[in-house]
Amino acid sequence: MAVHDVTASATGAEHPAPVAPAPSPPRRRRRTWRALEPLLWLGPATLLILTMVVWPIIEMIRTSLTKVSSTGLSEGFAGLGNYTDLFAEGDLPGVLLRTVVWVVGVVTVTILVSLGLAQLLNASFPGRRLVRWAMIVPWASSVLMTALIWRWMLNNFYGVVNRLLMDIGVLDAPVNWLAHPGQALVAMMGVAVFVSLPFTSFVLLAGVQSIPGEVYEAARVDGAGPVRAYLSITLPLLRPSLVVAAIINVINVFNSFPIIWAMTRGGPGFSTDTTTTYLYKLAFDNQSVGESAAMAVVNFGLVLAVVLVYLRVVRRQEDSA
Amino acid sequence: MKRHLAGLAGGTALALALTGCGKGSSSDSGGSDGKTIRFVAAKYDDDTQAYWTALIKDFEKANPGYRVNLEVVDWEQMDSKVKTYVQTKQEPDVLNYNKFSDFARDGLVYKAQDVVSPKVLADFLPLFRQKAQYKGAQYGLPFISSARLFFYNKDIFAKAGIARPPSTWAEVEADAKKIKQAGYIGLGLPLGPEEAQAEFQIWAMNNGGGWTDASGKWAIDQQANVDTLSYLRKLTKEKVTQPNPEATNRKDVFNQFAQGKIGMLNGAVFMRKGFIDPVDAKLNYGVAALPSKDGSTHKTLGVQDYLVAFKKSDGSNKAGVKKFLDFFYQKENAAKFVSTEGFLSVTESAGAVLSSDSKNAAYYKPFVDALSSAEFAPADDPAWAAVDGAVKQRIGTGVAGGDPAKVLGEIQKTAQKGD
Repeated sequence: MAVHDVTASATGAEHPAPVAPAPSPPRRRRRTWRALEPLLWLGPATLLILTMVVWPIIEMIRTSLTKVSSTGLSEGFAGLGNYTDLFAEGDLPGVLLRTVVWVVGVVTVTILVSLGLAQLLNASFPGRRLVRWAMIVPWASSVLMTALIWRWMLNNFYGVVNRLLMDIGVLDAPVNWLAHPGQALVAMMGVAVFVSLPFTSFVLLAGVQSIPGEVYEAARVDGAGPVRAYLSITLPLLRPSLVVAAIINVINVFNSFPIIWAMTRGGPGFSTDTTTTYLYKLAFDNQSVGESAAMAVVNFGLVLAVVLVYLRVVRRQEDSA
Repeated sequence: MKRHLAGLAGGTALALALTGCGKGSSSDSGGSDGKTIRFVAAKYDDDTQAYWTALIKDFEKANPGYRVNLEVVDWEQMDSKVKTYVQTKQEPDVLNYNKFSDFARDGLVYKAQDVVSPKVLADFLPLFRQKAQYKGAQYGLPFISSARLFFYNKDIFAKAGIARPPSTWAEVEADAKKIKQAGYIGLGLPLGPEEAQAEFQIWAMNNGGGWTDASGKWAIDQQANVDTLSYLRKLTKEKVTQPNPEATNRKDVFNQFAQGKIGMLNGAVFMRKGFIDPVDAKLNYGVAALPSKDGSTHKTLGVQDYLVAFKKSDGSNKAGVKKFLDFFYQKENAAKFVSTEGFLSVTESAGAVLSSDSKNAAYYKPFVDALSSAEFAPADDPAWAAVDGAVKQRIGTGVAGGDPAKVLGEIQKTAQKGD
């Protein structure tokens, strides 16, 4: 709906221009100055965006087209050589597929759990403040430390998880959890969900709190039960918060490095790598910075594409709603 | 989440900078006057920092006006740090690292003769001097060396009814099964990313394999290597190794050995100082030659780290660097570093100082003797850095899910790309 408003006002603004009378010379000079005036206000921000956001992206693309020696020195233009090298890597399809599983899995579970947590934190019960504080803990502690602690807990020699499962008789012998790609991926996704929950829950909690109570009262008068109220009122009105939470999480999880790096280093082999850890390995293990930059460009494109597609889908739903 | 990582890196750098600068060397790393030397050292253990701080203090006292800014970097972060420094043109004056040939290829470092006196140059043991060359000229300054031998737990061997350490691969397999019967881990086999390239080379070269063929071309997928990986895979499948060798790092099995849970493994010279003594100094273990497939020849794996001196455009740092390196290579100073860290000496004079120390000489003697038949990783080939990285990542999968021939073929592809 907001989209229509913007386009309407934009076309409206264009109309007065042609009918304006031709200005006299001094006024014209003043008018050119006035036209430049917004630059004064926009300039610093534009400059900041250009240097901090656009320039690194250009550098990244430039590096991906450069031949870089193993010490990191540029050896000139490489054409698309880095890209053909990258797409010839036998591990790439697996890495891409795993990235999809990783992002979709972590974000979906995070949002589902956060919806529940937001509802819980919104309800009033004794000790609610304490629970809200507790929710912040995974956020406040370092992601790297959280991942390292989980790696120790899952270790097959001295890990507490094996100890516990053996003591209660579930396991006979310790399991090397992080050595099996499937189990390792599940474990790491668990950690990723754990660290994503606080932010997502609080975004959704803010959304839940912004829904006025009268709406629910009206629904109750009309005879809607709690399930109906949740599906027909809470979820639709939460859509803006959900969009924000989903997009930020997708980008975050896509680029998540410390969890995978600390727990498995993408190993054994490349069997738990996502694009983010894979591009690091290309640069620092395979010593091919150019190919790594190519991977980074592909990664960047993927994130952009996912976000654009997501926004489109959400907008279409809004239009049809 | 990226921000966390950046924060971590920044924090570590800050911590290193704070702890790294001893008294009197806290200024920024300008170095344009030629009297301030920036030195990036690798962290071998907790004693490394203290050693360098003390040495630098002595150096600065002996050479008024000269200053050394020390940065001690953990091995795990070394590769990325070095790469960042080189790429951003912030090379240190002196670097302690395990590779040098790609710097030499790109013309970034001084020849050895330019930065140490002829006396020091002549003092390097020929074996190491030869391995520090690129295209016939010496660029690397041998720093420390390490050798590998077979460690076995005598108590466990007695319980399993084994009389002597294995000499052939068949004996290794049979003994490992007996040890497993006795309730211990038969063979420690670390093929995780930490040092998989060393572990694999030990087995491969004792089967007549290796990284290159006789002409020096990469031959990683040669039949001897496929057989080697297949043998290790067989041991893994028979469950006589620790579980999941492909995900086990060296320090894990070294620790398990020190705790008396592993019967035998390929150990390194620094095992005693770094792992066994801190855990159980009374551990009853023996050291033997590395087993080979047929039991006739037993090669050891030699490893050496280097110092390299980076060129500055105006050459202003040459005199200061030379002073500092000559100071370090004085026999007492070099010997002290080697004994502090539990490695083997690369210079004759420091070696002589060490072997006069009778208490330790007995432990080090078999390693020193083994060095005469040592093989090294091809660190003098600039493509080695990439191969090393690929091996660390991939080789372990050859004993788990992957097919040995295919895994070695993938690594061979990486090696050829670097040529």
